[in-house]
Amino acid sequence: MGDPEGPARPVDAPAPPATLTPHAAAPADARWTDTVAALERGDAAEARRLAADAFGGGEGTAAAWRAQVRDVASWPDAWLIAATRRDPPDEAALDALVGRYWKPLVGRCELLALDRQRAGDLAQETWYRVLRARRALEPNGNFPGYLMTIATNLWRDWNRAARRAGPMADDRVASIDAALPADDGDTLILADVLPDLDALHADEQAALRMDVDRALERLGPRSRDVLTARFLGGESCAEIGRRYGRTEQTASAWVRQAVREMKLYLGESPRVQPPEPGR
Amino acid sequence: MSRQLSIEQLLRWRLALAETEAPPAPRAARLLEAVRPWWELWPERFRAQAARLGRMQTAAFGYAMADPRLARTGHPVPALVVHSEELETFVRVLYFSVRGDRLRLRFHLDGVSARAEPGYEVTFVSDGAAVGAADARPLLAAAAEHSTDGEYRLDAALPDEIAGRWERLKVTDPMPFRLILRPTAAGAG
Repeated sequence: MGDPEGPARPVDAPAPPATLTPHAAAPADARWTDTVAALERGDAAEARRLAADAFGGGEGTAAAWRAQVRDVASWPDAWLIAATRRDPPDEAALDALVGRYWKPLVGRCELLALDRQRAGDLAQETWYRVLRARRALEPNGNFPGYLMTIATNLWRDWNRAARRAGPMADDRVASIDAALPADDGDTLILADVLPDLDALHADEQAALRMDVDRALERLGPRSRDVLTARFLGGESCAEIGRRYGRTEQTASAWVRQAVREMKLYLGESPRVQPPEPGR
Repeated sequence: MSRQLSIEQLLRWRLALAETEAPPAPRAARLLEAVRPWWELWPERFRAQAARLGRMQTAAFGYAMADPRLARTGHPVPALVVHSEELETFVRVLYFSVRGDRLRLRFHLDGVSARAEPGYEVTFVSDGAAVGAADARPLLAAAAEHSTDGEYRLDAALPDEIAGRWERLKVTDPMPFRLILRPTAAGAG
């Protein structure tokens, strides 16, 4: 079954610079090979020493290699993760890894938690969990995807805890098995009467943001998760289904339902208007 | 001019706002400090609990070996459950598997009559503690989640040297560790 609203794009995380593809781009130079081998096994200190020894006084290519090794922020994920896996982890590498994915992580957390403070807590707790299990990190895995999976699982744990807390809980928590509401949102087509989202005045932006947050809140946690996973995380419906132990068809139905509900809720906003007849 | 927006565009716009307003990333040093294991933060507490664990005799749990329901599982593993008070008990390992560097463990916690905790932070202590040795050392800590009726599941990455040593262990073998169990708030940690 096809996914609604077309294919989703992958997570918006800053990609490592294209120049850092040592295996493909670097010439077969033993000094560079040794340095890269050290980086790949996470021995950042040894890599820095090798680079300084081998390319210390050089210019041109040698200087470029030395700069690459020194500039930890430009390392690909695989090197940063390998250096983070070691005991003790390389702090500069960890700083670079956290910095690279912090904003996208907090952003996604905020769309789940709908609270800036909780989003920050969730992102931080996600990193704690990653670091506690850092030996299991896969240098060549999909690290941003892994981060978001941890964050989403944590958030689900928090929701479960809130559900256990019963009526005192401050979140509305929908059951995974909750019946889907009636399919009455299809007729509304979300339209924007404003020229450009980025060109909104601050007050318009704040109002629209409030509408979006309110609509997301009314969705409930599971729908919010599947919607953001599908459209912001680039997860397929099959992957979402696997996470919940459900079929791809079920996950696809959840996504469609969440889209319809969002349109319905947003359609109630005076700031987001349904199209006029004939448009 | 007005234009139609998809939900995806709206979500991406909202995500961009959230990213713009994100607080600064925490420093690596602070994150690493926050995840230091408890036995490094409170070494005296660890030593005292490991010593108590070491004094526990598996023979005291012999009644468990006689329980026909548990006949096909392994030896009891001494465990210290640390609530506001410390409770000496044992766990029965129901499943034990090491593949690569992953440990998968399922165990039954005996003798905890209060309501089941949703989860424990499980600290594996070397079984040098069995003879009360002062060199009992922590091997690793991992979160175990309650599954059903006093049973807990745990899935953790092992350091290479431990993975190599535990690889051939069977569930019916005496386990080379004892456990300190500390309740976690939400079953994970």
